[in-house]
Amino acid sequence: MKLYLLPSDSIKSFIKELAEDGSVFYPVFEDDKTHLVKFAEDKDFEPDFEKIRTAENIKHFFFPSRDVVAKFPKDSRPKAEKQYLFGIKSCDLRGIDVYDRVFIKNEPVDPMYQERREKTIIISADCPEPADCCFCNLVGVSPYGEGTCDINVTKISAGLLCEVFTKRGEQILSKHQDLFKEAGKDNIKEREKIRKDALKRLGKINEKSFKEDIGERIEKAGKKTMQDAQKDCVECFACLHACPTCYCFLLSDYKKGKDVERVRTWDACYYAAYARVGGGANPRSDLKDRFWNRLLCKFDYFNEYEGFFACSGCGRCYRGCSGKIDIREILWKL
Amino acid sequence: METVNPVRNSNKVLDQNQKTGFSNEVNPYYSIPIKIKKIIPETSNITTFILEGMPMKFEAGQFAELTVPGVGEAPFTPSSSPYAKDMEFTIMQVGRVTSALFELKQGDLVGVRGPFGKPYPLDDFKGKEIYIVGGGVGFAPLRSLFLALLHNIKKYKKIYIRYGARTPDDIVYRRLIPDWQKINGVDIHLTVDVGDESWQHTVGVVTVLLDEIPVNVKNSPTIVCGPPIMLKFVTQRLVEVGFEHKNIYLSMESNMSCGIGKCNHCRVGKFYVCKDGPVLTWDDVKGIEEPFL
Ligand SMILES: Cc1cc2nc3c(=O)[nH]c(=O)nc-3n(C[C@H](O)[C@H](O)[C@H](O)COP(=O)(O)OP(=O)(O)OC[C@H]3O[C@@H](n4cnc5c(N)ncnc54)[C@H](O)[C@@H]3O)c2cc1C
Ligand code: SF4
Ligand code: SF4
Ligand code: FES
Repeated sequence: MKLYLLPSDSIKSFIKELAEDGSVFYPVFEDDKTHLVKFAEDKDFEPDFEKIRTAENIKHFFFPSRDVVAKFPKDSRPKAEKQYLFGIKSCDLRGIDVYDRVFIKNEPVDPMYQERREKTIIISADCPEPADCCFCNLVGVSPYGEGTCDINVTKISAGLLCEVFTKRGEQILSKHQDLFKEAGKDNIKEREKIRKDALKRLGKINEKSFKEDIGERIEKAGKKTMQDAQKDCVECFACLHACPTCYCFLLSDYKKGKDVERVRTWDACYYAAYARVGGGANPRSDLKDRFWNRLLCKFDYFNEYEGFFACSGCGRCYRGCSGKIDIREILWKL
Repeated sequence: METVNPVRNSNKVLDQNQKTGFSNEVNPYYSIPIKIKKIIPETSNITTFILEGMPMKFEAGQFAELTVPGVGEAPFTPSSSPYAKDMEFTIMQVGRVTSALFELKQGDLVGVRGPFGKPYPLDDFKGKEIYIVGGGVGFAPLRSLFLALLHNIKKYKKIYIRYGARTPDDIVYRRLIPDWQKINGVDIHLTVDVGDESWQHTVGVVTVLLDEIPVNVKNSPTIVCGPPIMLKFVTQRLVEVGFEHKNIYLSMESNMSCGIGKCNHCRVGKFYVCKDGPVLTWDDVKGIEEPFL
């Protein structure tokens, strides 16, 4: 493992140089929330790599909420553009892991997703200060990038300590090598300490872990338990739009001149009409059934097929929830 | 503390796919345009649409998404033989897409996408008696299966069809059944819920045809397609008389969108009906709470 240092005074130059090659998105902290913003030459900018994940999920960079996926009768679709996501957090990498499985690993490949994925360079950043909503440690995610990203950076006193994970990442570093230095022992020590502290903090936030067989427990708990768990849900659906691991979608066709566009929009199993079949019958019209299904999908079925949870522990669902339902509290009780 | 292994090898997933060369040239969301060659009304609300040619290679049991341009898609199992020259669908008018389809005329353009799902395991049926039970428009996919079996009829011991409809006028393929009844090795019985003066056969729901089951239930496959309520009672009966659970093949009803195991709409328990189905066995689904809606 080779580590490099991007000194503090070179961070902005690095972003500027990257922007010559594609759009660069970096995190800023405003009004107590992190947001990813697009770099623009004429703007003052102050990237912040230390705060937790952005308030919004980042899935639209790969899987937009509205996407033309095919045309009829002659096919065509827009080309993806090169983009850099700089400073996204490890929990959002779990989201990308989920999408990679669904859209690339499981045939047939989704060409739109794959193209965007290939055109997007991911530079993730450590979380030195996990917040109370965070529970990445309970779903097998560390608060720092260990793969899926091209490069991971840790904010240390001297700048950003960079670890490279892909060929693409190496190429970027060598292209901008004038800005980087080889990391020193004390830089690496500092990173170790930051990571240890972050994990310790997460351990304090989430003292209990989920049971090993949480999927089966959800299955066994059945609908009755769900009735209690969802009693505060007012069906505002904030959780669905915030979730970086939900991937349900719906295809619909629209006339556009002589052609027809097939449009893919985000959908969610939590919507009442989601499972409705021809003629009107609906196997999951009840809220408790849908609530149950959402947990089963994330913690039981996905785990059974892919070996990890379709949940990143980002806590966005809890933060957004009008009824303050905390998914952890439900799972801890099972 | 850690409860699950952190799986962090998505970069590998990406590399692997590039190496195995999955093509992203093929767009799984694109529908192939094709013209309607002929329209044959079967009953007051069920019609067979014959398309001009065979846009895809499918096997009996697989399905396709049919598009009415500008309106949308819905999943249907072809009702024609996989060996036929033209692809056919037999469709009941129930809602938005099907109503738009019923407005179309000969020569109009539709789109098809597929084939999706798993075919019937015809190899496993070799040398056996095959017991087919259908209701209403459920005869559509069963016809494709039946025609595929006829294509190699010598391979199978005997084909039984038990089919029920509401009234004699609701029987799908009434124009074809008399000829099928003449085929050696084929045994077809029909029933209607409500008969009329001309009706010579059984009256009663389809389960009355299952009072006596002439096949060896120990090793025969039985294939069922029809409305959920029928599926439920027929399955109960088939289990009761001793068919092996893994030999009871059921066409599952579910909402669908993508057809390729991605959008999640078709989930029934942990199964994707579009990918693991659309036909699942009783062995697969019996553990699921209320599998038939
Ligand atoms: C594998 C498979 C094979 C099939 N084969 C056949 C066949 O051979 N022949 C046949 O006749 N049928 C078949 N069907 C059933 C057929 O797919 C349905 O009858 C068809 O989808 C009905 O479409 P529709 O738009 O006309 O009906 P609608 O009732 O209008 O719509 C059904 C679909 O539209 C959505 N929808 C409609 N209104 C709403 C609303 N208000 N809110 C939310 N969602 C809504 C539903 O979610 C559902 O997906 C098959 C189904 C499957 C799954
Ligand atoms: S859940 Fe973990 S990775 Fe995500 S923001 Fe919180 S600490 Fe960082
Ligand atoms: S379920 Fe909640 S905690 Fe898990 S990924 Fe979705 S928004 Fe984040
Ligand atoms: S129809 Fe989309 S996953 Fe089955």
